[in-house]
Amino acid sequence: MDRTEALLIADLCEGDETALAPLIERYKRMVYRLAVQITKNSADADDVMQETFIKVYRSIHTFRKDATFETWLYRIAVNEALNFVKRRDRRKENSLETAAESEYESTVRHSAQVANDPHAQAEKSELRQHVTAAVNSLPLKHRTVVILHEFEGLTHAEIASILNCSEGTVRSRLHYARKKLRTLLKPYMDARTV
Amino acid sequence: MRSKCHKIERLVSDYIDGTLSERQTADVTSHIHSCGVCKREVADLKKTKHLLKNFYTEPEASDTYYAQFATQLQQRIEESAPTATYQRIAAAVTRFGWQLRTQVYRYTDCFRLSRFISIRQQVLPYYVLALTMLMLIATPFLLTHFPLDNGSDSVRFPSTAVHPGVTLGVKQENAASHDIGTRRNLNSERKTEIPSVDSGSDIWKFTNDRVVDGYIFTTLHKESSDRVPNVALDIDSELLTYAEFPAQDATWVQLTGRDVLTDRRYALLLLRGINTRQHAHQEYERKRSEFRGFSHNLLDVPLEMMSVEVGYDLIEL
Repeated sequence: MDRTEALLIADLCEGDETALAPLIERYKRMVYRLAVQITKNSADADDVMQETFIKVYRSIHTFRKDATFETWLYRIAVNEALNFVKRRDRRKENSLETAAESEYESTVRHSAQVANDPHAQAEKSELRQHVTAAVNSLPLKHRTVVILHEFEGLTHAEIASILNCSEGTVRSRLHYARKKLRTLLKPYMDARTV
Repeated sequence: MRSKCHKIERLVSDYIDGTLSERQTADVTSHIHSCGVCKREVADLKKTKHLLKNFYTEPEASDTYYAQFATQLQQRIEESAPTATYQRIAAAVTRFGWQLRTQVYRYTDCFRLSRFISIRQQVLPYYVLALTMLMLIATPFLLTHFPLDNGSDSVRFPSTAVHPGVTLGVKQENAASHDIGTRRNLNSERKTEIPSVDSGSDIWKFTNDRVVDGYIFTTLHKESSDRVPNVALDIDSELLTYAEFPAQDATWVQLTGRDVLTDRRYALLLLRGINTRQHAHQEYERKRSEFRGFSHNLLDVPLEMMSVEVGYDLIEL
């Protein structure tokens, strides 16, 4: 019998480990999406996913009903991903790997070079590649806000709650992110695609 | 004009999201009709939003990946249980101490109240044998937990239970451990507020609290009901208690309370005088068999959390 989300959460609070699997099933794609988009690396995203759900399992008793479980999960996943990226970047600095590029950064650079010739980018598949690369080129804070707002459909208030910042900060980051994206995607804003 | 553009620019992002107030929306609309720069800005941002919406590729993994992920996660959760030797030993000692105490309480109670009759004849020899073995093996534990020079440590219950209420005994902090306890010491003179236990739709009140031989005896009382809170009492949404039913004809029931491991509140609750127990027994057995973590969590509570002697404040309920 399919258990409701509230029942699953209550069972998990009681120590019923079998309630975790259905919750993972419901939210695995969402968490994976967030993790990959923030870390820009699928292997790192795997670590973030595991940490996120382990945290859910261990901290479920701290979940209060004043927010939805989804928002609570967003908060955990985003914070886990952000912390992961910060730790990873610190390690890179310490090991003098600053010159190394992530797979996404490399794509962005390639995209920027090709962007000099926008007529060559007629194909939609290529356009997708460039749009994705442009998003991935944003600074971490701006990228996170764009992901949560544009792709996850969260409101400013929800994002502010997840990131523990003010709504004004969210609006500001979103605005600057869009301006940066506008500059990056300017070559592709022709009548054929838009 | 430039200052107006600057003011409008801050609103453009919300404008294309449609989250501005009517007045602000009208202001921006009016301005972009008269300002070519801002008009282009709005148009470009709308195109950007359109590109993001229609051409951004969200990452997705295969079903195989998710299946592997679930397996790995399960392994990690299992591995995250106490694995170090000292943790295993601590857990085993805790479990053993808890079982030992349970047995001692059980038989002390039975002997004092002359309730042999309530235990089925064929079961009694096994109880006696098990108790004897436990006593022999665990003499150090007994000396630790039940010092001979302090008669108040022995468990004695009131001879009769109040019905339909349920008598509840909570071990009190003994005099020797007062100095380490940060919780309030309970004594027989102190009047406490009457807390209640919300067991689903029923509200059970603690009444007649008094101290007998180091235990606070109180009554869970509910009018016009022959039921008692059975498997899980949700006390203040945090303290869970579980009932363990011994022999079928036993006239008492032992509840063990456990915190959900968020803080150090824990109590061993001795519940007596229960007539209806079949449902609770089935529920308990179901939980124990279906939920792997049930017994584990119940018994692996750190020793200090299990020590009812460190004080149990009814007000905290």
